[in-house]
Amino acid sequence: MVDISYYILLSAVLFTIGAVGVLVRRNPLIIFMSVELMLNAANLAFVSFASMHGSLDGQIFVFFVMTVAAAEVAVGLALIVQIFKSRHSINVDEMNSLKG
Amino acid sequence: MSIDLILFLILAVVAVATALGMLLSKNAVYSALFLVLNFAAIAVFYLLLGAPFIAISQVTVYAGAIMVLFLFVIMLLGAETLAPSKVLRGQGWAAFGLAVVLVAETVYLLVSRHAAVGVIARPDAFLNTMDSLREIGKALFIQYLLPFEVTSILLLVAMVGAIVLTRREKGG
Amino acid sequence: MYTPTMLLAILPEILLLTLGVILLVVEPFWKAENRRNAGWLTFGGLLAALLISLLFARPADPQTVFGGMLRYDWYGFFFKMMFLFAAAATSLFMMDHEKLGRRGESYLLLLATTLGMCLMASSADLVMLYLAIETTSIPLYVLSGFMLDDKASTEAGFKYLLYGAVTSAILLYGFSLLFGFTGTTNLDTLGNALAAGPNMSGLVFGVILLLLVGLGFKISAVPFHFWAPDVYQGAPTPVAGFLSTASKAAGFAVLLRLFFAAFPGFASWPSILAVVATLTMTIGNLLALPQTNLKRLLAYSSIAHAGYALIGVVAFSELGRASVVFYLLAYIATNLLAFGAVMAFSRITGSDDIKDFSGLSRRSPWLGLAMLAAFLSLAGMPPFGGFVAKVIVFAAAVDKGLYVLAIIGILNSIIAVYYYLNVLKFVYLYRMDGENEEAHPIPLTRPYAIALVVLAVGVVLLGTLFGPWFDWSNLAALNLF
Repeated sequence: MVDISYYILLSAVLFTIGAVGVLVRRNPLIIFMSVELMLNAANLAFVSFASMHGSLDGQIFVFFVMTVAAAEVAVGLALIVQIFKSRHSINVDEMNSLKG
Repeated sequence: MSIDLILFLILAVVAVATALGMLLSKNAVYSALFLVLNFAAIAVFYLLLGAPFIAISQVTVYAGAIMVLFLFVIMLLGAETLAPSKVLRGQGWAAFGLAVVLVAETVYLLVSRHAAVGVIARPDAFLNTMDSLREIGKALFIQYLLPFEVTSILLLVAMVGAIVLTRREKGG
Repeated sequence: MYTPTMLLAILPEILLLTLGVILLVVEPFWKAENRRNAGWLTFGGLLAALLISLLFARPADPQTVFGGMLRYDWYGFFFKMMFLFAAAATSLFMMDHEKLGRRGESYLLLLATTLGMCLMASSADLVMLYLAIETTSIPLYVLSGFMLDDKASTEAGFKYLLYGAVTSAILLYGFSLLFGFTGTTNLDTLGNALAAGPNMSGLVFGVILLLLVGLGFKISAVPFHFWAPDVYQGAPTPVAGFLSTASKAAGFAVLLRLFFAAFPGFASWPSILAVVATLTMTIGNLLALPQTNLKRLLAYSSIAHAGYALIGVVAFSELGRASVVFYLLAYIATNLLAFGAVMAFSRITGSDDIKDFSGLSRRSPWLGLAMLAAFLSLAGMPPFGGFVAKVIVFAAAVDKGLYVLAIIGILNSIIAVYYYLNVLKFVYLYRMDGENEEAHPIPLTRPYAIALVVLAVGVVLLGTLFGPWFDWSNLAALNLF
């Protein structure tokens, strides 16, 4: 029997790692993976809380989050492919045709 | 220390280590593979928390579909390794600040909740039976009918969007 | 368990979906040169949806439907009508856009994002709210990156997606903590559970910050505004116009409902929002001053306008809520008019630089007049809608004793007058260099003419006959929760 707060702590640590990844990495693919990690951390918190409250609502929320994540990844990767095709580089620092 | 706690600790170490591996790998393929491991570890947590349906969805949707798509794109683009470029200083500090705030908040959460509530995960609760699957199905199609229908629109739009974004322009 | 009321509650959404499906089925059968008709179909369909909803789907007493997922009330209904109107205007603007106009997909994506906004405005449950926000965002990511052979557009799409995905993950974490504290995702019970539960003001403060990140991005409030100028400049202009109006209004709709429902008892959030509003107004206006590109100027000005509207949220009263609703209505009409005029101009000249607007009033007097109405209304001059909206917002602040905030708002409006009039100076006073303006007319196509006339009349009506509009805003604010 594990106290629920351990799960919440773990989820916060994972969320933080994801957030740091978003801020310090420059490869858009890895930034995107870090976002997925953040979503997973939130999901873990949801399921832990659902288990704590003994209700299904949290689990169903996670089910919907997964659907959204899949849709978002499909669109995001399509954009990355398109940017890469047009310039053969996907470094965020080089995305500077918009500045001012 | 109970056996549950030992299991939790081992898995937690795996989850954090793979997350850090994802963060620190130079090669995007390694990052993706670390993330798959991380998602698998989280799926086991879901089982421990009495959510088998979510655990299975996690493996099929995240590890099976999303990460495969990531790997596919990485290899399609040949983007395994990108020259590391220097991080903007402001962003580094922002990351540090965010990390401190989140960890502080978590510690506060841990300390304050621990004494007050002391609830535990219940792997053996009713949630972990066949009944829970039935309950999830019922909830999805009765209480959560509208969100469920909206996801179908969302997926249709994402499909149209992905096709629009990867089409070839006719004649430029 | 199922009643006709449930279907009435989502009638606008059902009509939008039907229209989208018709569009998907019909469009491939049209010849390439007729594809522009998809725009007329979308416009007509949206107008029909607006009229049908106004006639048949007016809410009675507020009630929750679909197992507590949606709230069927005037507040949601009023916002839905605003979104349908903005989408109809945008579909007209899209028709003569080189890349968007002849593609059925672009109209489908517009309809989908409008559908998401309608759901955002009436969501009464965190699950529904999250899905609605994403249904709004994902089509907008695609629309921003729609011009594939334009580097700036795909980059704008990707930037928008990246910021959007990160902030929605943060928002989701906030939702999960809310669920953890209360054990419910329903907004109705959430507020009561938070108020009745043990005192966790420190934790709730953290949750409020997380939610503010997510919603601050949607309304492009400082410090989450970085994406706005880049995305507005890179995205196709009709999409930028839609992003800066309807999408922002949807963010406000959620912000008002969520905060009033979940945290009525927590005194901390109005003061946080007061700081955010001050920063948003000031930084938006100061950064708008040196801009030379009109699209970027409008982007910064739209950031500043989010700040003014936030004043009404901070006021935390019924008048405050009504003032926000009215402000958004006036802002949608005004900003769409401004973006429409810029589009009509740059479609012919291929430039959004302010200095290229020299002599516009001689090249096209009507377009010049539209610019005049739009920019004076943005600056908050009578007799246009922007004036009344600003007065009501500041009145709401003064009514609650927020004198400092009202004064900051007024000072900011004065700064803003400078750069709005600067644009009009080019339009009305300056001449084209050594050219005869009559030789360079700017013809307006029919869709632009219709949209600009309707919007300009709307802006003037909102500024003169504001009584009925304000009554409706009041009605919406009454029924919030």
